[in-house]
Amino acid sequence: MSDYTIAELMSVCMAKEVRDGDLLVQGLYSPMVMVGCWLAKRTHAPHAVIFNVSEGIEGRPRYLPYSTAEPELARDCVAFPDFLHVGELAARGRLDLVFLSAAQVDMYGNTNLSVIGDYCHPKVRLPGGAATTYFFGMAKRSVIWIVRQSRKSFVEKVDFITGVGYLDGPGAREKAGLRWGGPVRVITNLGVYSFDEESKRMKLDSRHPGVSVEEILENTGFELILPPEVPETPPPTQEQLRLIREMDPNGVRELEFKKEV
Amino acid sequence: MEERLLSLQEAVSRYVHDGDVVAVGGVGRNRSPMALVREIVRQGKKDLHIVGREKGMDFDMLIGAGCVRKVSFALVSLEEFGLAMNFRRKAQAGDIELDEHACNSVITSIRAAAMGLPFLPVKGMFGSDVFRVSKSLTEITCPFTGERLAAVRAIKPDVTIIHAHQADKFGNVRIQGSPFEDALKARAADRTIVTVEEIIEHEEIRANPHLTTIPYIYVTAVVHVPQGAWPASCDGYYESDREHVQEYASSTKTPEGFQEYLEKYVYSGRS
Repeated sequence: MSDYTIAELMSVCMAKEVRDGDLLVQGLYSPMVMVGCWLAKRTHAPHAVIFNVSEGIEGRPRYLPYSTAEPELARDCVAFPDFLHVGELAARGRLDLVFLSAAQVDMYGNTNLSVIGDYCHPKVRLPGGAATTYFFGMAKRSVIWIVRQSRKSFVEKVDFITGVGYLDGPGAREKAGLRWGGPVRVITNLGVYSFDEESKRMKLDSRHPGVSVEEILENTGFELILPPEVPETPPPTQEQLRLIREMDPNGVRELEFKKEV
Repeated sequence: MEERLLSLQEAVSRYVHDGDVVAVGGVGRNRSPMALVREIVRQGKKDLHIVGREKGMDFDMLIGAGCVRKVSFALVSLEEFGLAMNFRRKAQAGDIELDEHACNSVITSIRAAAMGLPFLPVKGMFGSDVFRVSKSLTEITCPFTGERLAAVRAIKPDVTIIHAHQADKFGNVRIQGSPFEDALKARAADRTIVTVEEIIEHEEIRANPHLTTIPYIYVTAVVHVPQGAWPASCDGYYESDREHVQEYASSTKTPEGFQEYLEKYVYSGRS
């Protein structure tokens, strides 16, 4: 048995996506992203600016709250640059990184948070993408996370494009009118993925400890690009685990694995 | 300046009308104007067009209670408590019209209204099906640079409802902590109703005018409702009541359960 949870591993994978000095957005109901971003800020990226839904920047939360819109995240912050500021920064090409989840993602990194089935007569009406449509268009780097990778969530074609990935391949974003950005990483409960530079198709970067390539393929509904050798995702270090558990004493990071879907 | 303190009942009956476009303050379950939402439900308002970006129980309750015709939104969710079931049911049944946005485009639509403009340009929506299916978004070309942009149609609220921290009796309002775009919603609307945790002395407002986030000129009615965001949170006053939100989420799994919830917590008269 490992001494860490899958939520802790995924949080660490998310932390690695943060570069020092990044302006980044952490959205609503994103517990692992919250943990990952604050971990990055406490370790390798002290100058990252985390815009969260509470709108306070450089806050000093005593603990990471259940909802990312809760006031605790803004405790003793330096200012409240509201959502209009973040939208403005993004429009000017200054937003470096966003993390957004999805009910479905396809091989080109397009995501769906709107409907399963037909848009006007949906089988399931999902919550909607919040800022996804805008930030997937405007951030320099987008990271997608999926809590339960399966053929239902890793699909050939999403039912509805809420978040724009590479659409149907190279050059499609530019043709649609987007001048920069695109998804750079997908982090799931089974592995870590990125996108092939030329084809813009999803490729496997690493499998999590204990997960086989076969298991990943069984839970992927499209043709995944496989490297000749698939490395294992490095497990969290003891120091990372200590910091995570210190920042998140209530175990908010585990929430998405507890919820019924 | 005139005094504009009213009761919850008076404020809603005078200033919220059937068919109104209603912009709703707060985000998620932070500073949601829940006392006003419950009063709107009690008064059985109909055919409202509700507007907000990332909304939760407030939207779900208005929708479930049959007050709503149309929803302009970027997300409706109970976060860790799951899908907003009234929203989901009514949307799947085609009982409500959906005007789906990204946060930025719905905020921009309110910004346009505040500026008295029929639309504003917004970047970044292209390529998505949100853009493709939307009746509120269309492509335009900048007349100066030739840049391709999305135009978002203005949404003009008839009334904005907000829960805030403090106000004087004239309606000079202080929002502390997370501002969201509540002041913008007030500036865009014809009328604004604000519930507050505390009524403070007018001289206190004059002593610290830089703390006034919504000046009285935009405020139609002020209602003193301590705990007026409950079960949502109000920065510095209380956190969200997660136990209650869980009860709400469980009750809304069926329409019958939701009716029982309304009987117990809304129609019984709790403000």
